[in-house]
Amino acid sequence: MLKKLMAATALISAGMISTASAETITMWVRSGIGDSSKEVVKAYNAGHENKVELTEVPFAELVQKYATAIAGGQAPDALSLDLIYTPAFAAAGQLEDLSDWAKALPYFNSLSPSHVKLGTYQDKIYGLPLSVETSIFAWNKDLYKKAGLDPEKAPKTWEEITANAEKIRALGGDTYGFYFSGGGCGGCMIFTFTPLVWGAGADILSADSKTATLDTPEMRKAVDIYRNMVKKDLVPAGAASDNGVNFLSFTNGKIGQQSIGAFAIGTLVTQHPEINFGVTLIPGVDGKPSSFAGGDNFVVTKGTPKLAEVKEFLEYTYSMEGQKIMAKYGSLPTRGDIANEVLEGLDPRLKVGIDAIAVAKTPYTLQFNDLINSANGPWATFTNAAIYGDDVDGAFSNAQAEMQSIIDAGQ
Amino acid sequence: MALVSLFFVLPVLFTVWMSLHKWPLLGAPAWIGLGNYTRMFTDARFLNTLGFTAHYTLVVTIAIFAVAFPLAIFVEKQRPLVSAYRTIIFLPVVVGLASASLLWVWLANVDSGLFSPLFQMLGLTSGRINLLAKFDTAFLTIIVMVVWKIAGFTMIILLTGLQAIPTELTEAARIDGAGRWQRFRHLTLPLMRRTMALALILSVTGSILAFDQFYIMTSGGPQNKMISVVYYIFNQSFVSFNLGYGAALSIALLVILVTLSVLQLWLLKVGDERP
Repeated sequence: MLKKLMAATALISAGMISTASAETITMWVRSGIGDSSKEVVKAYNAGHENKVELTEVPFAELVQKYATAIAGGQAPDALSLDLIYTPAFAAAGQLEDLSDWAKALPYFNSLSPSHVKLGTYQDKIYGLPLSVETSIFAWNKDLYKKAGLDPEKAPKTWEEITANAEKIRALGGDTYGFYFSGGGCGGCMIFTFTPLVWGAGADILSADSKTATLDTPEMRKAVDIYRNMVKKDLVPAGAASDNGVNFLSFTNGKIGQQSIGAFAIGTLVTQHPEINFGVTLIPGVDGKPSSFAGGDNFVVTKGTPKLAEVKEFLEYTYSMEGQKIMAKYGSLPTRGDIANEVLEGLDPRLKVGIDAIAVAKTPYTLQFNDLINSANGPWATFTNAAIYGDDVDGAFSNAQAEMQSIIDAGQ
Repeated sequence: MALVSLFFVLPVLFTVWMSLHKWPLLGAPAWIGLGNYTRMFTDARFLNTLGFTAHYTLVVTIAIFAVAFPLAIFVEKQRPLVSAYRTIIFLPVVVGLASASLLWVWLANVDSGLFSPLFQMLGLTSGRINLLAKFDTAFLTIIVMVVWKIAGFTMIILLTGLQAIPTELTEAARIDGAGRWQRFRHLTLPLMRRTMALALILSVTGSILAFDQFYIMTSGGPQNKMISVVYYIFNQSFVSFNLGYGAALSIALLVILVTLSVLQLWLLKVGDERP
């Protein structure tokens, strides 16, 4: 018996030794951005000796989880970080400097410029693009047809969208014309709602991010458009308390129109093939389109012992094979030089996501979480109060004052 | 004593030490003396959360006692199935507060839940109402949830107090011709003072420390009107990463709690030996 036990132990130890040469790197990714990261990790693990162990963290909690993990010494080797947060973590000195390695990549100059810009802090590169997405407007072609609308005609203005929503709502039951996560989801609303004012040339922060400029005629007009749709019962009642959990309500087939992300194109195509949808750019309040250029930067925790393995994985995602997998699941190509080749043979609707990059904006502020993304921040509060509340003027003045006080406290 | 100092005194002292610094989660702490304490007096958001927590504590404590006292009297008397009643009323207490909150989020969901479709079917509301979208209805939902969850516990505490009253006293009062209300007012209530004090302190302390239900059920409520003090401390510490300010707020909360508890003990004269 004892001999058997010893033999078994020896066998297990031998097994451990033989796998010891293959390293496993730990990596976190946020939820709600589609399956592109998951699928590329799966493909990488299938073809490489080193493995990546992926953990999905709820998007609203990723920043504090990562920060507390760093403080507690439990941080993953690498992280797919919302590009918005790269400056803040780099400024805190928690990320590995990737400058030399990055600049040596032959395709460095064709990597998504907005990602590299946000990944750069004091002339050093801490973050490189992993996934790219833009916000776009989607409509359900089957519901358009049922409501007597031309399913191939993309709406160009919000008057048109509202009129279409009314016709779709007239189908009755639980079919609705429009959807948005209105229950204080700052991230959802900056992504899908601010393009309405960006397209018209306004913004919620000044160019140097030191002044809050929320109260503009353009924002008032945008709020009115959404309020009007809520008042006319074109939006499901659940939207008022949706804190982002049901952001992809469009996939249930009962929503006529919604502003979604390019990631969702991949999700819809691969997981909901029954939904027949079209996509176009999000119109601004005066009809000129805009978009939010978002996505994730790949960052490496400072001091990780597995730097070489991490780099090997990132190089794989930049390869033609990796880029194709990412694109298939909705992440737009991060490498401009091979973008056309990557998209070849894939869903043509992804091209709208690429077109959006040309008109898209990305806010640059170290206080993005406190101002915009936090469920209890002024922007999240404002979107709910202005669209659902009784006191629109109060919502504007409160949010404007609170945003300014947060900006001032951070100086 | 060693355990007390290890698990209570040391953490409190460390919190006091932290509260005197500007202490970011990432990066080096810097000494700022009483800066965090002076800051909270001008912090409008903190004062708002104090107001909301006081409002919530008052409403929920009254609601819990209004439900728990009659229940305690009901299950005190020997009657058929009394232990079954006690068990059923006590059952929600053993559910964790976070699980209970998640359950009620689902019950209150406007599309797939229970309440909204039920109210519509019963004809109470003309359409489906999103309970969690407006402050009043969301607040009411949370109060009902907490009472459902906690009243059983308060009931058990009150029950032990009721059972400790010697039957001879009640019998004597009855023979002296005291009515039902008189016996309750002049006999039961005074004899229950210590038990009431315990139940009250537990309820008030628990309500002031409320967090789970607001975090899970409403994420701070429609337009952030439901942020309790603990929620604000959590936000400051782990969302905005101001650990020093969070520590100072925690110490302020500790002071408030101790003051309130001493005040309640004094009001109910628990130290006083006269019956």
